[in-house]
Amino acid sequence: MSVVTDLLQQVVEGLGSGAVYASLALALVLIHRFTGIVNFAQGELAMLSTYVAWQLVASGMPFWLALPVTLAVSFAGGMLVERLVIRPVQGAPELTVVIVTVGLFIFVNALAGLVWSFTVKDFPQPFPDGGLYLAGVRLDWSTLGMIAVVAVVMGLLYLLFQHTSIGLVMRAVAGNPASARLSGIRVGRVLMLGWGLAATVGAVSGVLVAPVLFLEPNMMGGVLVYAFAAATLGGFDSPVGAVVGGLFVGVAETLTGAYVDVIGADLKVGVPLVIILAVLLVRPQGLFGRAAVERA
Amino acid sequence: MRTIVTTLGTDRVRRLRATLTVLLAAAAAGYVPFYFAPFQVFQLTMVLLYAVALSGLNLLVGFGGQISLGHGAFFAAGAYTAAVMLDRHDTGHLATLPVAAAGCFLLGLGFGVPALRLRGLYLALVTLSFAVFLPPLLKRLEPLTGGSMGLTVEKLQPPAWSGLAEDQWTYFVVLVVTTVALLLARNLLRSRVGRALLALRDNESAAEVMGVRLSLHKTLAFAWSAMFAGVAGCLYTWVIGFVSPDSFSFVLSVTLLAGLVVGGLASLYGPLLGAAFVMYVPSVSQDLDEAAPGVVFGLLIIAVMYVAPTGLAGLPGRVRGLVARRLPRPAAAPDRTPETGSPPDARPEPQAGDGPFATPGPADPAVVDAEPVGAPPRTEKE
Amino acid sequence: MSEPTGTEATAEADFLTVSGLHAGYGQAHVLQGLDFSVARGEVCAVLGPNGAGKTTTLRALCGMVRGRGSVTLNGTQLLGRSPEHAARLGVAHVPEGRGTFNDLTVEENLRIGAHLRGGLWRRSRVERAAVAADLERVYGHFPRLRRRSGQAAGSLSGGEQQMLAIGRALMLRPTLLLLDEPSLGLAPLVTRELFEIVRTVNEEERTTVVVVEQNAQLALDIAHRAHVLEAGRLVLSGPARQIREDGQVAEVYLGVSALARKAG
Repeated sequence: MSVVTDLLQQVVEGLGSGAVYASLALALVLIHRFTGIVNFAQGELAMLSTYVAWQLVASGMPFWLALPVTLAVSFAGGMLVERLVIRPVQGAPELTVVIVTVGLFIFVNALAGLVWSFTVKDFPQPFPDGGLYLAGVRLDWSTLGMIAVVAVVMGLLYLLFQHTSIGLVMRAVAGNPASARLSGIRVGRVLMLGWGLAATVGAVSGVLVAPVLFLEPNMMGGVLVYAFAAATLGGFDSPVGAVVGGLFVGVAETLTGAYVDVIGADLKVGVPLVIILAVLLVRPQGLFGRAAVERA
Repeated sequence: MRTIVTTLGTDRVRRLRATLTVLLAAAAAGYVPFYFAPFQVFQLTMVLLYAVALSGLNLLVGFGGQISLGHGAFFAAGAYTAAVMLDRHDTGHLATLPVAAAGCFLLGLGFGVPALRLRGLYLALVTLSFAVFLPPLLKRLEPLTGGSMGLTVEKLQPPAWSGLAEDQWTYFVVLVVTTVALLLARNLLRSRVGRALLALRDNESAAEVMGVRLSLHKTLAFAWSAMFAGVAGCLYTWVIGFVSPDSFSFVLSVTLLAGLVVGGLASLYGPLLGAAFVMYVPSVSQDLDEAAPGVVFGLLIIAVMYVAPTGLAGLPGRVRGLVARRLPRPAAAPDRTPETGSPPDARPEPQAGDGPFATPGPADPAVVDAEPVGAPPRTEKE
Repeated sequence: MSEPTGTEATAEADFLTVSGLHAGYGQAHVLQGLDFSVARGEVCAVLGPNGAGKTTTLRALCGMVRGRGSVTLNGTQLLGRSPEHAARLGVAHVPEGRGTFNDLTVEENLRIGAHLRGGLWRRSRVERAAVAADLERVYGHFPRLRRRSGQAAGSLSGGEQQMLAIGRALMLRPTLLLLDEPSLGLAPLVTRELFEIVRTVNEEERTTVVVVEQNAQLALDIAHRAHVLEAGRLVLSGPARQIREDGQVAEVYLGVSALARKAG
């Protein structure tokens, strides 16, 4: 019995960290849907957002007020990044755009270090301590909170994309920008919105993970790798896949860390590498991706 | 007829100039360790070994059009191979080089096979994950690698007959290996593999029609490129005499890519310039702030991609191209008609915003200016 | 059905005016100075062999390709505008290869066409009514689309996708409809149906249409006027009927044999 309880306990913890991976993967998938590129700076942008939240809280703002302000700042920041950094290389070969996002990665990482230094900072835990017990499994409020936040984000995105005109326009731009333009859609503005949205969703992951990992400029590097594994597993075109992939990666990571002695806590970061390689070998389009995968 | 005569003339001049350049460079390279202080010689040695890694990365990114965010990991693999061999088996320095090279080549093949079946982006993901995974793995394999304490091994020692100081001897050994590596990179590009790579980069579908086997050549390019990084890592162990997991964090991978981009993609001497960047930008700007190298590198990468996708090495060519366009065209113009192929220095008219026909970036025609002499022109058919 | 006259000598004769139009891609200079005009409510066919610059002409009209010279629609300069701006001026372009949004349903595709009317989040009652009326109108023209309204556009047949593309363009309530090779890759029967619908739309809604076609026979059947392009220049212009009936012209420029004409 206690073996089962223990297993369930690990699964719950995995879902908690999986929620973080899911939201960053969601941000990656959004950008990929819109622009066809992988934004290597997504994690760093999330880290920057988290610093904004930290700064607000440190200057006395209550967390639940600082959060919406941070998300709004992230949204604006994402739009700005699209307009200033990505737009000039739009239409350039994929390699150029990817290198630009790597440059942005390096720059943002160093910028955070420049402004806030590389010393680790405590980030307030937004959820209360304690939790509840269900069949002997302890459910921390923080874990439940993380999962709930990601569920809410998913729900809002679903409403936005399926039930608003702007969502429809965004899907059209993601699917066929040239035709969207011919229908009078200002594609540039929609892309800015897309980047803003992705930055906001990414910021959620940063804020969720900061209390666990502690805030420092390199905080999101590892999370980014897990998010890549999640997006690869779910399919780079599928928001639902990103979430399912994120949760799966979180659980897989926790279980391997807990039960496979060879791996242990320190080598858990090998799990995403194995998942990415396995997906590429077995089902390269991912679980929810479209079967037609562009071959090299 | 006049065209032929002119061509022959310029050809001879070019060959003469190339010979002179090589002689001068050799003389300068030979003189350097006797002129500079040991620390400066050490820095130059580091530049040379970084250049080996960058020229490997250049094969992949600049010519293959693929991206690796994990070359630091191959660098580390080469460095640790050398260190472990020296530490456990006392094999002597020279024996470590082929083992590190072959090991990294195989490692590259291993990752290239799954990653390169698909679009280039997956190689970036796989290599990034590998780069993040390697340091903890090295820490874990403590009995072999010395864990987080790392390994201290014997540096290169000058033989008595040479009469050289340690830094001077090391410099010359690394200089020889680097020269061989750079020549090898050049010859690779002139070989069938290289021509296939260039064809791939410029036009994948056309290359496929020509019978170039895409994933095979991409995977081979990646394996070669990993091998170069491994050789550079091996040299690193010879020079520094110490390896630890923290020397090879993800930052190293990113820095290598940054150096290459800034130095110049798809150019033969871009890696040398880039290596100087990798070596000197951190050591100069670190005095200002711990974060300064990153700020500089990040901004430079983005700026280079905007204004000069050919990097520093491509600048002279681009300037030449600009000047040439201002001057009246000689009567004996290149034998291409405007309809069939654009002249090498022609850029498509800059399009505001995001027209589907705007193509800046490494595939920019101006890159041709920076290409090695041996590379076939883009429009030439096999 | 009245026989097209092609000579409506009204003040509307110069609804679309193209003069001295040069355009191309990068180094490739495709259009070498075009001059023609289209009257309001006319169907104008642009014909010619492959590579003559037909598609480039349409793309220059809607802003997908840059051009020099002048293109005015009802007095407004179109050159130098982006495609999205041209769409706002009432130019609806149905590109070669249809350009449907394959992930979206048929109805969503059509709604995208109407997106210029109404707010980003929700529409007012009046706007929603107007969009609903437009949907009815398009479904009226294309009954097949109504039956498939909830289906993903990617799952439609080629002919249905072409209908959807035209339907989406009509949702813009265009004053100028540009059709690029609507018959491409379609079965002859489907093509005929499609062209009949275009004719009906033109007659009922007085939409000005410029259609580029390889299949000269079909295009000439519904067109009032026709222009024949060769190597980026106009080599022949005139009433469609005249061009259709001048067998020699048809053979020289359009590769349509007299026999084929009779058979068709």
